Amino acid sequence: MKMPLILLLQLGWRNLWRQRRRNFMLLAAILVAVGGVVLINSLIRGFQYDMMEDAVENLTGHVKVLAPGYRDDPSIVQGFELADGWQPSVPTAELEGWTRRVRVPAVVMSERETRGLNLVGIDPADERDLSFLGTVAMSGERLRDADDSHIVLGRELLTQLDTKVGRRVVVITQGADGLNREAGFRVIGAFDAEGTALEKAFAFTGRTALQRLLDTDAVTEISVRLTDDAHSAEASAELARELPSLQVMDWRQLEPLAAAMFEYSDAAIFVWFLIVMIALAFGLVNTLITAVMERVREFGMLRAIGMRPGQIVLQVLVESTLVMLLGLGGGVVLGMGLVAYFADGIDLSAWAQGVEMAGLRSVLVPRLMAEDVVLVTTLSLVLGLLGSAYPAWRAVSVKPLDALRRGT
Amino acid sequence: MMRSLTTIATCFALTLTATARANDPRAVTIVEGAIDLTRGISSYAELSMTIHRPDWERSSSLVAWTRGRDDALIRFTAPAKDAGNATLKDGPKMWTFTPKLNRVIRLPYSMMAQDWAGSDFSYNDLSRTDQLLTEYTLELIDEQVVDGHAQYRIRATPHDDAPVVWGKEELLLRDDYVLIEQVFYDQAMQPLKRLEAREIGELGGRTFATRMRMIKLDEPDHWTEMSYTQAAFDIDIDDAMFTVFALQSGRSR
Repeated sequence: MKMPLILLLQLGWRNLWRQRRRNFMLLAAILVAVGGVVLINSLIRGFQYDMMEDAVENLTGHVKVLAPGYRDDPSIVQGFELADGWQPSVPTAELEGWTRRVRVPAVVMSERETRGLNLVGIDPADERDLSFLGTVAMSGERLRDADDSHIVLGRELLTQLDTKVGRRVVVITQGADGLNREAGFRVIGAFDAEGTALEKAFAFTGRTALQRLLDTDAVTEISVRLTDDAHSAEASAELARELPSLQVMDWRQLEPLAAAMFEYSDAAIFVWFLIVMIALAFGLVNTLITAVMERVREFGMLRAIGMRPGQIVLQVLVESTLVMLLGLGGGVVLGMGLVAYFADGIDLSAWAQGVEMAGLRSVLVPRLMAEDVVLVTTLSLVLGLLGSAYPAWRAVSVKPLDALRRGT
Repeated sequence: MMRSLTTIATCFALTLTATARANDPRAVTIVEGAIDLTRGISSYAELSMTIHRPDWERSSSLVAWTRGRDDALIRFTAPAKDAGNATLKDGPKMWTFTPKLNRVIRLPYSMMAQDWAGSDFSYNDLSRTDQLLTEYTLELIDEQVVDGHAQYRIRATPHDDAPVVWGKEELLLRDDYVLIEQVFYDQAMQPLKRLEAREIGELGGRTFATRMRMIKLDEPDHWTEMSYTQAAFDIDIDDAMFTVFALQSGRSR
């Protein structure tokens, strides 16, 4: 005889309610696991994308053009000139912004201290949408334009140099002819980046002002920021065609550590999820086996009145799937609720030093991605079905007569 | 000549090509007088240097040759621990040599503001040359007669874009161009270090500050004293003296 699925569903649903406490516990376990996985996944995603954005905003951009020797010898000697009115041949819709910069190693001196860093000549207007300079907190003033011959230092560097906004520092660097240049620069502003690494590594002045000091028209890099990382490969290829004598690199090549961490996060999410789900599957198997063994007599009876073994297997599967579906639905809702609750970010500033050392931002904002949720739900269902197959098989492996003869 | 060593030791050497943007002609004349004294002359000197700290004091002996305002070679002769350590200056470039390591090190520019040989003089104090005339505005702010000599107090304010970290410097010069005192101020106009003449005497036929002390004003009881025991001026010095090879070979004549 053929049993309609709807009847199995009805039976399954009622069976669930016969063991309320046990099934609620199971449901709660799934709920917490799925909710937790959704939240942790979005935190890892948040961390991952923060890291990518930091890497990109850290004066890198998605794609950068350099002279071939610059990475080995980062000096103005390894510069290149751009034709007037040059524009990167990247479709406007994909282009967030671009700029040219002069970046040279330099020594900065105050009355009391001396520090080495990268002196970067920038077009302040271009940097606005391009790098951390657009959004970073500043005390004092920002650079006005590319011709501004003041200097902007990091707050930490200012402390190290024991100087202040408004004072003069002396910059020593190498000019285009290979000889040293010395100049006094007045500090007009200090930037307060998240993490002191940037604050110690960079000082900024106007691009043309720096070119004047170095006696050159050359720049050392073009930095291009795209609307989406997905366009990076295409834009790199396009720029390489356009500027064949130069070296075109994307942020993955320029920031291999960040890129490796990015890839690693993908794997971490998957591994983390598998561990939680496999643990959960064992819980599921355990609960179902207990449930099934308790109901051996019942299954024997059902067999005796003509239910097929396949239908009994199906019924056990239906029961576990129902719990899984409820748990998944509730878990995803719970996870999204948690993500929404933490939407302003989790403040890690209490551990600021350690956080900065790990290269994290002090506020971790979770980032919920639809594909992660889909992955969690489908994989959980598959694991759940696999996990309940064994108890189901146990349910039908007992002969009906033996089953009936058992007590209870 | 003697003055030119003093010069090196005090960043007081001034260029002959200096086209002063300074606006006080008398102050410029006085400073230029010092330039004329040091122009293109060679010197040999033996000195003793005393570094004083709150809990210790150390003395060493050194010999120095200078030529013009660009070239100098300074070599320690005592104590035995330091003997042979040498510093060579050739224009703006400097090298050091340590016999124990048998290595010559070209000083990176990042190190030029650091202390020389553990003293209170920085490498910059040794190597800076013509800056007072080219990078500063000079003003004569005071004039007095002390012990029969006119003394001029000159304020040197660096130009806005000058590669100078100081807020200002104040010099006290005698009418015979002997430097009595030089004070370095930070940009909050707090005095940071002071170079002062402790003894003015005659050596090698010239009158100059034979004992000078550089005092750190922000660290109590930190000073370094340079005292001349021998000096000779306008002598012939082999061109090979001011080379890295000479620095390394440890020649002392």
